[in-house]
Amino acid sequence: MVRPVVVEELLKVRNLTKRFGAVAANDGVSLDVRKGEVHCLFGENGAGKSTLSACLYGYYRADSGEIVFKGKTAELNSPADALRLGIGMVHQHFVLVSNFTVLENIIVGSSDVGVFLNKSEARRKVVALCQECGIDIDLDREIWQLSVGEQQWVEILKALYFGAELLILDEPTAVLTPQQSDQLFRIISGMRSRGLSIILISHKLREVMQSDRVTILRKGKVVATVETAGSTAESITALMVGHKVTKHVRDRSVMPAGEFLSLRNVCAKGDWSEDVLKDVSFDIAKHEVLGLAGVAGNGQKELFEVLMGVRAASSGGFSLDGEAIVAPTSREMLDRGVGFVPDDRFLEGLIPEFGTAENLVLGWQRAPEYRRGPFLDRRKLGLLARKKIEEFRVVTASADLPVERLSGGNAQRVILAREFLHARGLLLANQPTRGLDVAASEFVCEKILEKRAAGFAVLLASEELDDLMRLCDRIAVIFKGRIMGIVRPEETSLLDLGMMMAGDAKEPERTVQ
Amino acid sequence: MISVQRRSGSSLGWNITCYSAAMICAFLTSAALLTFSGGDPVKAFSALLTGAFGSQNALYGSLAKATPLLLVGLGTVIAFRAKIWNIGQEGQVFAGAMAAYWMSLWVAPLPYWLAWLLIAIAGLVGGGVLGLLAGYLKVRFGTSEVISTVMLNYIVIYILAYLLDGGPWMESGLTVAYHQSSPVNPLLEWPILLGQGSGKMHIGFILALAAAAFCAVLLERTSLGYEIRAFGSNPTALRFRGTNIRRLLLVVMLLSGALAGLAGAGELFGTSHRLRAETLLGIGSSGIVVAMVGGLRPSGVMLAALFFGALKSGAIYMRLKSGTPAGLVSAMEGLVLLFFLCAAVATKLQLVRVEEKVHA
Repeated sequence: MVRPVVVEELLKVRNLTKRFGAVAANDGVSLDVRKGEVHCLFGENGAGKSTLSACLYGYYRADSGEIVFKGKTAELNSPADALRLGIGMVHQHFVLVSNFTVLENIIVGSSDVGVFLNKSEARRKVVALCQECGIDIDLDREIWQLSVGEQQWVEILKALYFGAELLILDEPTAVLTPQQSDQLFRIISGMRSRGLSIILISHKLREVMQSDRVTILRKGKVVATVETAGSTAESITALMVGHKVTKHVRDRSVMPAGEFLSLRNVCAKGDWSEDVLKDVSFDIAKHEVLGLAGVAGNGQKELFEVLMGVRAASSGGFSLDGEAIVAPTSREMLDRGVGFVPDDRFLEGLIPEFGTAENLVLGWQRAPEYRRGPFLDRRKLGLLARKKIEEFRVVTASADLPVERLSGGNAQRVILAREFLHARGLLLANQPTRGLDVAASEFVCEKILEKRAAGFAVLLASEELDDLMRLCDRIAVIFKGRIMGIVRPEETSLLDLGMMMAGDAKEPERTVQ
Repeated sequence: MISVQRRSGSSLGWNITCYSAAMICAFLTSAALLTFSGGDPVKAFSALLTGAFGSQNALYGSLAKATPLLLVGLGTVIAFRAKIWNIGQEGQVFAGAMAAYWMSLWVAPLPYWLAWLLIAIAGLVGGGVLGLLAGYLKVRFGTSEVISTVMLNYIVIYILAYLLDGGPWMESGLTVAYHQSSPVNPLLEWPILLGQGSGKMHIGFILALAAAAFCAVLLERTSLGYEIRAFGSNPTALRFRGTNIRRLLLVVMLLSGALAGLAGAGELFGTSHRLRAETLLGIGSSGIVVAMVGGLRPSGVMLAALFFGALKSGAIYMRLKSGTPAGLVSAMEGLVLLFFLCAAVATKLQLVRVEEKVHA
């Protein structure tokens, strides 16, 4: 009997270097991924994680270095090459045909599909895969009927169906709710026990800690590969940024005072006329950060839209600095000095084809201060951009480079720079740290606290409960469009918050400051 | 090994290479087409060149042909840069000419400059209102502008047919309809700046050049232009950031239609002097081609309009001289567009020599 050679290391990367112009995105990177291992790539935005994974699944060709897969040097000239060898990739943005069924999406493009689809054979194979990995999905539903989390499973199944033995997941939880993330990690551990190897790219320490080993990248180089079991979140973070990150905490000597934003019984309908906000009432004072905790999709987005004047309240209303706001438009809210950091930064916050300079005045393109006669004052815009790029440490080749080519963290800095420049009094921030690395999100937190100190009222929605606990004066919990209660962080545990986020009501606090 | 990659910036030299290659390809394919249809490409192309640039008058004729194309092209640029797909230029040209003609029936007693101004404004308003109508349908009912503008083309063209064919604008003194109006009052014709006989360039050319400058400044330098470009890239963000995008869409459709309408008025009062469908047909669609070939930039549209104007002007002579069917010229227009679109993609790519990996 011929025994298969046991390949302990499924993937070996040796001295891989990939340059873009003068910048080495990957500089002599070496990495081993064992069979049946969840291996995390961890690093700041722009540390080279995405470039490395792109080289591994054949999207980029490395300038030098070697990739050894299953004991053989791999020549990866395209993603198809990688897939043939058994390296599959699941992107952040899914590549699915929305009016095809789950099964059709999985088998489309596979070589054993002839002119006529042999669906029953394929179905057996997919069902077996689902069982092995613990994925529970109806194969006959069409993609558009699925939640984002389920769509991701389809992407994973697709790769497995094609025979992937190494699966690369690029920030897989960035688009998921906490529950969906938990489900994903159950699936990941199912795949691991089946002997599959997984490379997980993530910013979130909580997820990193669930891997077997972590390779930390900084500025294109491998800093270290450590066993997760022998590490702490702090030690891994310190390796990533090269120094300890100071977590900012609100200054309790500054007391909120003077009611600024006041909502009374705000109700609103969603895009399909469903009730998305039900009797939402709260107040935010000057010098106060009010947190908004909740699982994504419980009405946070619509609440911000109502406050920004892009969604009409069906009943109820709000006042700003004592003035009732009637049928607002986004123009009126901007003019009243409201700053807004949307959760979908490229869709709602930026013009992707514009550079940093032009994006810095988005919404203020008609303001006299940026105009000279009928014209936009380009010189002034250029100067402003240079100043803000420095102040907010935006990494960009020039002020005119389209922001669609910036990383998520840098794009967010452009939005923050704009909002902090123009806002006077109220700052609305929806998931401002989503997708950002530790250092970048700390930068955001620091800036929010600066605004609190300056007397702003801040509404901050976040899924990072730890951040809410240290930044907020009070935390409102939203569930199915209803405020379940408003609590003080110092009197509340994470567990309580979690219970309320799942719909367990607490007696709403009625103290108005 | 050589691989194709996206290039990070644009390079002037590479752009020129791509577009020159497109020109050459279009030229060769056209020559092949001519040969297949039994023509002599050398004779035909030399006739084309003579017709377009052979004499001073030919040159002025080419500029006259370029005039409406430039105006329509600019209108298309305004809309397409906002990714608003106004493809009703054909009808907007008609509407502009019809409004201008209607105005000319009233303004003869006025001083010439005032009458002239009112006629030009009527042209702008006629095309603009038709564009605005499509915009309103989109804003109010969500009707796709692609559908509504094309449908409005038919409506306007048939209204003109009615007016000329037994309707109030039929050429007077005739019992048989020639599908044309009486000549416009000669006092109201637009002044001819250069040329005589068959090649006359009217003041519309200067207007078109001014419009090109206006559009360039509008798009790149003003707040409205900022909003138009932003709308094309991401209307959602623009709406979240305080711009009334419904009003913006109406403004874009108004401007876009108005420029096409001015083209129609200029063609009527500068060239044909008689309202007649045949003289206006095709200007709108060629104008869209001009806008695309010009890369949706006013400066590019100017070059493209001059090129297509020369092509159209030379084609007349080519048909007379070498008997080449006129349809071939439309085919050539189409070929130039296709190859230019290919070239536009090619300018964003680069060929990179990839070193074979050396195994350590």
